[in-house]
Parts: sequence; C-alpha cells; structure tokens
Amino acid sequence: MPLIELKDASFGYNQQDIFKGISFQIGKGEIFCIIGPNGCGKTTLLDTILGILKLRQGDVLINGSNIQKMRPHEIARQIAYIPQAHSKTFPYTVLDVVLMGRAAYTGIFSSPADEDVVIAEEALALVGLTRLKSRPYTQLSGGEGQLVMIARALAQKTPLLIMDEPTAHLDFKHELTVLETIVQLINDTNLSIIMATHFPNHAFYFENNNIKTSVALMDQKTFSQVGRPADIISEENLMMLYNINAKVVSCHIGSGAELKQIIPISTIS
Amino acid sequence: MYAVRKKTIYAILLLSPLVFIFLSLFIGRYHVPLPAIVEILWCKLTLGYCNLPDTYVSVVWDIRLPRAILGALVGGCLAISGASFQGLFRNPLVSSGILGVSSGAGFGAALAILIFSTTSYIYVFAFFFGGLAVLMSYMIGRVYNTTPAIMLVLGGVIVSSVFSALISFAKYVADPYDQLPAIVFWLMGSLASARFQDIAVAGIPMAVGIAGLLAIRWRINVLSMGDKEARSLGINTALSKGIVISCATLATAGAVCVSGIIGWVGLVIPHIGRMLVGNDNRVLIPASLSLGACFMLLVDNLGRVITGSEIPLGILTAIVGGPFFVYLLKKTKGGGW
Repeated sequence: MPLIELKDASFGYNQQDIFKGISFQIGKGEIFCIIGPNGCGKTTLLDTILGILKLRQGDVLINGSNIQKMRPHEIARQIAYIPQAHSKTFPYTVLDVVLMGRAAYTGIFSSPADEDVVIAEEALALVGLTRLKSRPYTQLSGGEGQLVMIARALAQKTPLLIMDEPTAHLDFKHELTVLETIVQLINDTNLSIIMATHFPNHAFYFENNNIKTSVALMDQKTFSQVGRPADIISEENLMMLYNINAKVVSCHIGSGAELKQIIPISTIS
Repeated sequence: MYAVRKKTIYAILLLSPLVFIFLSLFIGRYHVPLPAIVEILWCKLTLGYCNLPDTYVSVVWDIRLPRAILGALVGGCLAISGASFQGLFRNPLVSSGILGVSSGAGFGAALAILIFSTTSYIYVFAFFFGGLAVLMSYMIGRVYNTTPAIMLVLGGVIVSSVFSALISFAKYVADPYDQLPAIVFWLMGSLASARFQDIAVAGIPMAVGIAGLLAIRWRINVLSMGDKEARSLGINTALSKGIVISCATLATAGAVCVSGIIGWVGLVIPHIGRMLVGNDNRVLIPASLSLGACFMLLVDNLGRVITGSEIPLGILTAIVGGPFFVYLLKKTKGGGW
C-alpha cells in the first residue's frame, strides 16, 4: 500500500477550477517534487493534502484512510507541514517553537509533558540546532529558522512531510544545509516528502544522493507529466512550462560522481 | 534547576496579589491599627465574635476587603484577557477590549442609567451588551466558516465605534443634572461601590473566564502561529479560538460590569509580563493575571489616598501605567522586540 495516494483530485472556488484530475502516489522514503510556474496552484494542492481545504472531487488517502474523514489531530500525526514563509510575531524560544509540534498529542486543556520536551530536543538534535534551543527564534538567520520549522515538523513524528518551497529566500550555504538535512533525514528515518519548489535542480540533487525521486510538472491546472527527474526535467519541458530557453548540463563533482543541472538561458517572447 | 525556578516563579505569582490585598486593608483616610486588622480577619474567618469597635469592623471587613478582592479580580481579568487576545490575534498591540466588549458594556450601562433609576440593572445590562458586542464582532469576522484574525479585529473596530456612537447618543439625551454625570463617572471606572454581593455575582463569570484561559494557555502559543500552521499542527482552530474568545469575554465583561471602563491594564500588563517572564503563554498567562491584580490594587490605593476625594480608576491607570511602561521599555531595551 502506498503511504499517500491522490485519486483524481480536483479543487476550485465557485465556478473556477484551480486544479483537476490529479493522481499520484508515494511510498516510504521517497521524495516527490512539484514544479510549476507561480500561481499554478501548488500551494492550494498542498492545502488539500493537509486537509485544510476540501477537495471538490476525488480522494486523498494516507495509509489507506481518507483525509476528509479525519480530525485535525489525526491528520497531524500523519502529515507535518513546513511553511514557505513563516511570519514571526512573538520571540518564543527555539525549544518552545519545536514543542508546538507536539500539539497533536496534547489535550486541549493541557500543556506538553516531559516526554514531549524530550522528543522536541531530539528533533532539534536531528537538525543540529541543540546549541540554539534557548535563543529567541526571531533572532535566527533565515536558514536556521527553516531548520527550526523542520525540527517542529519532526517533533510531530509523522511518516510524511510537506514542504512549500523550503529554500525560498535562503543563500547558497543555507540552501545546501536544508537540502543536506532533508537527505540525511530520509536516509536515517525513511521519511517521505512532498515538496513544492521553484528549483528543478533540487530534484537532480536528491536523485544524485540516491533517493527515490519523482517530479511532477504542474501546468494547465493539472500534472502534465510525472516521472524521474532525468526524464522530466528536459529542455523541451521547461520551454513548455515556463516559456524559456534552458540547457541541461552535466559536470563531474569528484570521485566519479556526476551532477546534472538545468540552467535557464533566456525568455521566449 | 529549571523546575525549582519554575516553582519559585509560580509561588511569587500566587503570593503577591494576596500580599497586596492584605496591604490594601491598611490604606485609607480612616486609621485602623495592625493588631485590629489581624483580629478582625481572624474572628471573621473563624466566624467568631469581634470584640472591637463596629466602625473598625465595618471599614475593614465590609468596605476595604471586598474592594481589594474585587480590584484584584478586575485587574487580573483585564490583564489575562489582554494577554490571551494578543496571542490569539498575533498582535502585541491588541488589548482586552479589541472585540468591543468595553464599548458594548459602556452602552449597556448608559442605557440602564437612562431607563432605570436604580443601579442594580447596570451590571446586567453592561454584561449583556458587552457579550453582545463580542458576538457581533465574531459574526462580522466570520468568512467561509473561518475567522481570520484581521477580519475579527476589523469587526471589533466597527462594533466598538458603533457602540461608542451610541454611548454619545445616550449622553446627549440624558438628563444633564443626574443621569449624565452618572454615565460619565461610570465610564471613568471605579471600585468605590464594591460589596461582597458584587463579588458573588460578577465573580462567577470572572472565575470561569480565568479558569478557562489558564487551562487553554499552551494552545494560545500554537494559535499564535497563525491559522494554517495551527491547523497543520493538529489543532481544531475554530474550537480553540471560540473557547479563548468566550473565556476572555466572560472575564472582561464580568470585570467591566462592576468596575466600569478601565483602559490600559489589558494592553500594558501583558507587556510587563513579557518583559519579566518571557513570551511562553504557559507562564505569561498566569503572570499577567497576578501582575494585573497587583497593578489594579496599587492604582486603586493611590486613587484613594492622593487627594481628599477619590480619583477615578480609568484616569489613574493611564497616568501610573504609562511612565512605568516607558521605564520598563528603556530598562529591558524592548526585551526581544
């Protein structure tokens, strides 16, 4: 049985379709990248998988059970969410933020127990931020902030993570830190990840690190193509998707390994 | 280490309002010596007979004590509701009156003064209209079965301004010799008429509200992450928000209906709490309750002794609270803001 499966999923507001006829499935330890232009409905699709928005048609099944029939805390024990841009209001400590990942296991009128604090500290250790646990999370850099969000998701102890552009606004080093953390998590804990991203090269990066990676191109309100990065991320497909000229290059990165990259060249007018 | 520190903090939070209440019994124009106060408290609590002048007993037990207890409750309620709303609305500039409870209660009181000549209806009307105002703000803020924070705040602004206009209208049509001053003084806030009956009646919604907010306080942390994240963390956001708003409204409406409109406490006390104990609502919510109670007693005692006649509370809370807040801001350099 696949970990998560979408069957003929459609969603829209009033008369307008946002997306329709989307089907895919993911198994354990796999990563699924959704690529598409701004405004194509990636975030909306993620919201329906999280059960925040209700599908107009079709089903989302996690471990065989329908997400629309599950209560919020039941969903949050299966799927954790890492937001694109988290707006910080109050300077909570890093540990307090990660502890919020335990909400699905804590009663409405209770506070997290000592076990929950232990789990939150383990999650922080997994992303390598233990030294920052008492710092206000408003004072962290963008990359560290994103790692805190990942730690919070890990504290939810779910088999599936959903990430909405996890490396937006990050510099090269922090981007690589986040990607390396993701690879390490999948290798260590057999997590599965659904990720919306603007960087097709991320899919190459994961494939290169021997993770079972799929890519979906989201276009014309549906998935136009789904498959392995090497097959899908091609010069022709990017031309159709973004209306740009691009070039796929390949370079040696030492010890016999080869890294594929796609480079945007120019727009087509 | 951490557990010991936590226990110390909670002990201080619990004890300081009790100390302030005890000190309030000494303060006032009429001097009552310490041994007499202790004896009155002892014999009243053990239901014995007090072998002391009736004036002593009456001043301490019937006037100062209920006033001090009510003051502590009112201050605590305003501060705890303010802290909860700041977390819920993810906005540190929000106060306990954000959803219109104060304006609604003010109008209710004014209406009661216009219609009835006795004051007992004021409580009922103030409480009812305070609750009604919040309900209206909530209905306005509801979009597609969700209640985005910004819509709720806008709903509160609209409802508050409508009720403020209605208060002005009530003042305009009031009899300028007795009704108008009654409305104006009520709006300035006072604890002068406090009796044990008031605590018995208004204490119920205040106690329920306080208990609810204390119980749900960690959820406010999670709610302050925003609707979408709170939901993805596994929270039924509509239910949790509904409970926080209901409890905060019960507490504030209960406070306002006996004390009149006392501004400033619901905004500034939570901030003082943030500077002292941090932003984690697990500690901040009880800290706001305790600090609010102490602050209100401090201000009320000042109001009783500064001049020959009492200064209304609403005026003093701002005059005392403002400079104190500036001092704290400068001293802690904003504390992470």
